[in-house]
Amino acid sequence: MSRSLKQVAVLLVALLCLDPHSRVSSAPICTHGPSGCHVPSLADLFDRVIQHSARMHSLSNDLHSEFEQYFLPSKNSIGKIYRKCHTSSILTPNGKENAQKLAREELTEVILKLLMAWRDPLFQLHQSMAHQQDFNSFSSNKALEMGDMTHELRKGVEKVAEKMRVLGMLGNSVTGLSPAETMLPISDSGEAMSNYELLYCFRRDSNKVQNYLKILKCRIIPEHDC
Amino acid sequence: MRNSGAVLILTFIAILTLQAAGVSPPGKPRLTSCRSPEKETFTCWWEPGGDGGLPTTYALYYHLENSETVYECPDYRTAGENSCFFNKNDTSLWVNYNITVVASNALGKNISDPVEVDVVYIVQPNTPEHVTAVVVHDEQGPFVRVSWEKPRTADTRSGWITLLYQLRVKQEKDKEWEEYNAGMQKYYNVFSLHPDKEYMVQVRCKPDHGFWSEWTQTTYVKMPDYITRERSLWIMITIFFVFIVVILTWTLNVKRNSVKLCLLPAVPGPKIKGFDKQLLKSGKSEEVFNTLVIQGFPPTTDYDNLLVEYLEVYDNEEQELVQDGKDLSEDCMKSKSPSDIDSGRGSCDSHTLLLEKCMDGREGSGSNQHQYSQHGETRWASTESSESQDPEPGSPESANGRGKTWPVVFPSPQPQPHHHYPVGAAKPAYHSVPEILNHLSPHAMSSNYHQLNHQDILQQERRFSKPACRHSQSYNQFNLDGIDTPAPGVAPSPSLEYVEVQRVNPENMLLLRPLSDPNREPEGSDCTREDYSKVKEVTSNNILLLQRDMSHQCVDDYSQADQCTTQQPPHPCKPAVHQSNSGMPQEAIRVMGNGYVDSTVLMPSY
Repeated sequence: MSRSLKQVAVLLVALLCLDPHSRVSSAPICTHGPSGCHVPSLADLFDRVIQHSARMHSLSNDLHSEFEQYFLPSKNSIGKIYRKCHTSSILTPNGKENAQKLAREELTEVILKLLMAWRDPLFQLHQSMAHQQDFNSFSSNKALEMGDMTHELRKGVEKVAEKMRVLGMLGNSVTGLSPAETMLPISDSGEAMSNYELLYCFRRDSNKVQNYLKILKCRIIPEHDC
Repeated sequence: MRNSGAVLILTFIAILTLQAAGVSPPGKPRLTSCRSPEKETFTCWWEPGGDGGLPTTYALYYHLENSETVYECPDYRTAGENSCFFNKNDTSLWVNYNITVVASNALGKNISDPVEVDVVYIVQPNTPEHVTAVVVHDEQGPFVRVSWEKPRTADTRSGWITLLYQLRVKQEKDKEWEEYNAGMQKYYNVFSLHPDKEYMVQVRCKPDHGFWSEWTQTTYVKMPDYITRERSLWIMITIFFVFIVVILTWTLNVKRNSVKLCLLPAVPGPKIKGFDKQLLKSGKSEEVFNTLVIQGFPPTTDYDNLLVEYLEVYDNEEQELVQDGKDLSEDCMKSKSPSDIDSGRGSCDSHTLLLEKCMDGREGSGSNQHQYSQHGETRWASTESSESQDPEPGSPESANGRGKTWPVVFPSPQPQPHHHYPVGAAKPAYHSVPEILNHLSPHAMSSNYHQLNHQDILQQERRFSKPACRHSQSYNQFNLDGIDTPAPGVAPSPSLEYVEVQRVNPENMLLLRPLSDPNREPEGSDCTREDYSKVKEVTSNNILLLQRDMSHQCVDDYSQADQCTTQQPPHPCKPAVHQSNSGMPQEAIRVMGNGYVDSTVLMPSY
């Protein structure tokens, strides 16, 4: 009883002693624009998004190398049969010039398409990894984290696009992705892709996303880190 | 038919000849590595397997993933020997290349193992350029600022490639490099370099997913010779402390004596009165110790208390009372003496020296005890719980049979402390009674036997119960001085006779009466006869209940008993059996350990 009284007393004293200016008060949601709210700038948004994509790619890299190490001991073997990734239908620039030739809107759209295309397959990947005995919980957690990150990244890129549109950097030709345009990771032969193939494909696609975002950023905000 | 056969034979012979000459088809080539410096072009190198002695040509073929079209290397020259360079047009990212090398010579060809390559993952940039290291002088101290340029080929402007830099520093003689990560920036400040030393600096870079570049050429930088702020501070501190130490030492030196007094206080020398240190130093110990002997010790004049437990008086003469000016108090003290001192003399004769007929002294003992307890120093020699108590040295000891001993100090030299007095000596049988430290009211000596122990004088504090003393017909007074002339009137008895100490008056006089005194009061003076009494029973308080001899009023106290807790001076006529708890019959007598019933009047120690 005395302890709680003491705590209350301490709290009161602390409250009294606090500088009234530094008191925490509830802040309104920034509906009225930048006044009274700290709105992150486009540069900050880009930085966050790029960091996010870097993290996503490193996760996919780790998972892939784990896979390769434990389940496919032979590297560069002839027996590697690659099926097409399900995202190969998306036209992506495969070089610097090609990427630079693309307009910002198209580049943004490519990024969003890629991210969208991986939402469901990653979920499936996590599910199958969780059920298999071969994977330890750490790996399956990584897969789950990857899926969440992709989702977050997509949201982030959408925000960036929104911001750019607001700032007038982006034209209105960016088409929203139709929800019906879901791609299933079905290869040509109709079979579902194995976990390894999924990881392989995702590793590549996450690298693409990271690269495109960097290009986009340095094109729009060339000041720092470019 | 004949031609084909001839051709075959000729070929066979040719092969044999060639083999004899040491030529063979080429060995298998091997692709060693493929690298892209800027993620836009890439180069692959192979090593030949062996040319087989004949000029061998190498061709590189590749095909993209999921495509069967095979292409040949577009450029064998740019990258040097045994290499293939893929320019921008031929390079596609995020696509797997399947590359093989074919070695062929006149005798045959050989195909290498295929290699899968994705250009994005084989990026190794060129080394950074224009590495400079300059010494910057700061108020904190000089440091080295290393700066560099990105490799020319890497396009970081457009964000296509992101480079991370790393530098390393060491002295010429060091084995290990000190590495620093500089991130994406193109400069770095190196601190904590030693003055007046030359350092080597190198830089390298890496894309975010790729391989480290090679280290740049070494750049040398020399640190200036300066005293670090830290070192100068330490120097100042050291000087300051040395100064302080010098001052302290000087002060101590000046005040040597007082410091000595403070640190090493004088050890007090022995302060024995009469002790002469010089005499001791001179080595004559006898003289020294002789001076310690105090005349007139134990002091008996100043004390009011006379605590004499046992006093064995051998008096040839008739016991006559000599008053020496001191009055024994009316009150008798019951001495709670322990078991007797058996000096071979029937020490615990209760009826020899009874101080008092202390029958109801026991009842009054409670009050007496209370009275005594007011004196803080009163300590009762407890013999009841003698088992639990450690006896003082020389104090009345436990009930194992040893009794109190009293130091005997004779004013005039006597051969033995407690032996016969010369018959007819006109001096009373007296003993110097040991000094009692407390200021109790005079104790009554009740024991018949006292052995005065010299050491006990100061230590013994006897508790004496105070019997309600009756008057005494006659008493013997003991001169406590010891020096005085024998009190007149004390006729030495012609023979050994036991005296009963009746009481002790305030002037430290023992009021004695002989056991065979006919003047004894009927109450307590009848029995002097020695006798044995039977033990009736032993109570729980370690009290022996003796059977009373009904023939005589006096109960004799020679009773064999096992234990003796407190001493009970049984009056001959009135056995002052006293138990404070319960009213014991008169037959009950406290006995001492060795079988003798003590005649001293005791104060129960409840």
